[in-house]
Amino acid sequence: MTPTLPPPDDKTSDTSMSRRNFLRGAAAFGGLTALAASLAPLRQLEDFSSSEQFLQKYYKELTPDDMTKVIGRIEREVQKEYGIRPHVRDLKPMDGVEFVYCLNLTRCIGCRKCVHACVNENNQSRNPEIQYIRVLKMPHGSMDVEKGDHTYEAKSVPEKGFFYMPVQCQQCQNPPCVKVCPVNATWQEKDGITVIDYDWCIGCRYCEAACPYWARRFNFTKPEIPKERLNPNMAYLGNRPRKQGVMEKCHFCIQRTRAGKYPACLEVCPVGARKFGNILDPESEVSYIMREKRVFIQLKEEMGTSPRFFYYFDK
Amino acid sequence: MITAARNYLIFIRRCTRIAFVGDWRYYAWMGLLTVISLLGLNAYAKQLVHGLIVTGMSDEVSWGVYIANFTFLVGVAAAAVMMVIPVYIYDNEELHDLVIFGELLAVAAIIMCLAFVTVDLGRPDRFWHLIPGIGQLNFPRSMLSWDVIVLNGYLLLNVHICGYLLYCRYQNRKPGKWFYIPFVFTAIVWAVSIHTVTAFLYVGLGGRPFWNASIVGPRFLASAFTAGPAIIILALQIIRHFTRYRITDKALLTLRSIVQVSMIINVFLLLCEVFKEFYSGTTHGVSARYLFLGLHGYHALVPWIWTAIALNLVAMVILVLPVSRGLRWLDVACVLSIVGIWIEKGMGLVIPGFIPTPLGAIVEYVPSLNETLVCLGIWAFGLLCYTIFLRMSVPILQGRIAKSNEGQPELQGDAPAPLPDPLPH
Amino acid sequence: MVFLGLGGFFIVNSAARPAAGKEIPLVDVKFLDRTASRRTYADLVKANEDLSDYDCYGCHEKGKPPPIRYDANQKIIVPKEHSDVVMGHGSHDRNNLCYNCHNEQNLLTLQVRDGREVGFDNIPQLCGSCHGPNLRDWEAGAHGRTSGYWDRSLGTADRLSCANCHNPHAPRIPTRESAPAPHSLHGPAGTSSPHETTH
Repeated sequence: MTPTLPPPDDKTSDTSMSRRNFLRGAAAFGGLTALAASLAPLRQLEDFSSSEQFLQKYYKELTPDDMTKVIGRIEREVQKEYGIRPHVRDLKPMDGVEFVYCLNLTRCIGCRKCVHACVNENNQSRNPEIQYIRVLKMPHGSMDVEKGDHTYEAKSVPEKGFFYMPVQCQQCQNPPCVKVCPVNATWQEKDGITVIDYDWCIGCRYCEAACPYWARRFNFTKPEIPKERLNPNMAYLGNRPRKQGVMEKCHFCIQRTRAGKYPACLEVCPVGARKFGNILDPESEVSYIMREKRVFIQLKEEMGTSPRFFYYFDK
Repeated sequence: MITAARNYLIFIRRCTRIAFVGDWRYYAWMGLLTVISLLGLNAYAKQLVHGLIVTGMSDEVSWGVYIANFTFLVGVAAAAVMMVIPVYIYDNEELHDLVIFGELLAVAAIIMCLAFVTVDLGRPDRFWHLIPGIGQLNFPRSMLSWDVIVLNGYLLLNVHICGYLLYCRYQNRKPGKWFYIPFVFTAIVWAVSIHTVTAFLYVGLGGRPFWNASIVGPRFLASAFTAGPAIIILALQIIRHFTRYRITDKALLTLRSIVQVSMIINVFLLLCEVFKEFYSGTTHGVSARYLFLGLHGYHALVPWIWTAIALNLVAMVILVLPVSRGLRWLDVACVLSIVGIWIEKGMGLVIPGFIPTPLGAIVEYVPSLNETLVCLGIWAFGLLCYTIFLRMSVPILQGRIAKSNEGQPELQGDAPAPLPDPLPH
Repeated sequence: MVFLGLGGFFIVNSAARPAAGKEIPLVDVKFLDRTASRRTYADLVKANEDLSDYDCYGCHEKGKPPPIRYDANQKIIVPKEHSDVVMGHGSHDRNNLCYNCHNEQNLLTLQVRDGREVGFDNIPQLCGSCHGPNLRDWEAGAHGRTSGYWDRSLGTADRLSCANCHNPHAPRIPTRESAPAPHSLHGPAGTSSPHETTH
């Protein structure tokens, strides 16, 4: 009998092969289970797009029919969420109108009523708190915002030795936020308002980094609006409730101003420090101010942004 | 045609199978990375549900560790291609195959970059808005649109070059010059562009004087070309240790000289920046004051930046001295550089740009646990990808996976007996 | 084994919500109030309300101008019937004479220094006779409060007159309480101002 060679002593013997394969299979199964389980939090995902919202076109590409459907969707969503049927309009800019805002720093007393009137009018989140207007308490003698105090609270304002400067979106004529948005979700309309298409914004926050006035706000989570304070008069580019993950900012109360009314911050100001109107109309109060008042400040003028917001002093 | 497709599919299948084969150390490493990746994925799922409020970011500091890591990794990806220059321009044969390892690192780094940007988005479901033609890409005005194009382009370039060269080696075929040389030279220029475009994201913002300085671009490149090759030096030594792939010390020393010069330039540029911010005393230097000295009682970043500077200086000294010709000291210098530059780019660049805000408010930033888990998860995933790429490419380059041995049992377990030298090309 | 444990951890953990942020109370509705600080005679007339406060000759005699008395420091003595009036118009007590504005011959009107009579419903002409620049600004819409429509072709603008904000006897606008400070998302918002007020 020819001696048979001993079986090759290698690692490919059947039992060790199958054991190794079993271990690999078990590991793979465990891995896939863990993968599926890791996505478990997504069960709570309620707010994400319906397919119709996912595919919604860019604002400038929406036909009037599309817009009607979109507005219908928004009204349904708001009704479902807040129990109030809103009135949403897509207001277009008026011809021959260019808005300008003038703010009289001699008069502002720093009461912050404008901040809250804006929050109320524009359905901003209360928690986390989003406020488009930030009032700075500035010491006399300086326009350097580094010296401003944001968190003052006082039983009686104004306090001696200080002036108060509310800052909101300056609706710049040369807006850096529009320049940097990668998807054109923000742009300036012909009446001067820089608007945001909330359904197009991808939430990259580049515009927030670019703004020299810290005017833009991001929805870090689902905004919380108390039902009893919801403002049902809404505009598509304005105060309709925003979703988690998109940017927002002052839009000169577009739902009011494009209907010919004053913005909410102006109406509530107890001392009439705020002035707003059409700079192309020589009879408007803003034209008068721009003609008559000598002391005139565009905040951070050196940025080249050419804001439409003018601060002035009476004395 | 059909056979070509069939051959390619077999190649892909073999590559995929080899990724799941290795010794116990390989499994432990991959297992660990998978666990961390899954933890990161779970943390991201929570972020998708609740929004970015689970991070430490706020309206005041609206970019955090996600973008910081993105910035660092774009530099790594750009620098991976720095190895290409000595090979193709100076015709350095030693580094020829190592170019592939560098480019695979670039691919892994770009995957990580894209992941970091995606997790930073508030509405990632709307990513299609970025696709030109279907969406509304604001090109050429928005630097982010440039970034989208150059990063994806760079990814495709490197995937093509690596894939083509590896497939040719698999088939034991000489690669056709026109299929890769033009791409390689494009990649060299493109690499500089990806990091310059990323720098311009910051530089272009006039409202943030800390970033709106011309030194940011050159500093980005100098620090990238320090940290990137440093990572490659470490990666090559790991490859040399765990596989029997032949990597000469000469290759490592060539990379050392790149790291050495880049680090010297990086430190010089730091001095330039410090002078500019502090000497003239304008209010535009306030963010630098916050970073280096603290501002109005807020000083969270001060220990970080001084540690980074110390690490960089020590690394520079080691690199300049001849002791760094010895691998142990070189490794120390590399690790110090990588950590120092990571801190510099993250905490030293991104965060101080937001403090104080353009209106002068100070709100400090601390990454949350969820945010940190997502970052670790993406890093782990990137390392996972790179390990898999190496696991696939090393045997191909060694000739152990080749068309000629198609059909034979796949490699198992421990490293097999060494094979003759890689076939000449 | 490790993976299954990890999977279990994920499922248990997925129910957890992120820690709720601090509770931010809703702002008091007084900070949303748009009504004018004061109501003028013209407002009362428009609202058909009780005008008896302005019925001077209910107490005073026609043709007999009420005398004005001063104390030892030349400060005007406000009669106890008009004790709600606190004098403070002009520093150094410059405007210390009722008849600088009130018409002693006809208490139902006011008088301008050049002799014109002005009704209680047309106060700006009186105030503006000394405060010219403010009057010009007010007429152009640059001073004082306006509400309603900036586009007058679509609707009316409601202009408030001087006495809606300024008490004619002590016109300096009183200080008031400020609304609460803003709340930052993570942690308190610090400022770089060394003038931080304590509260």
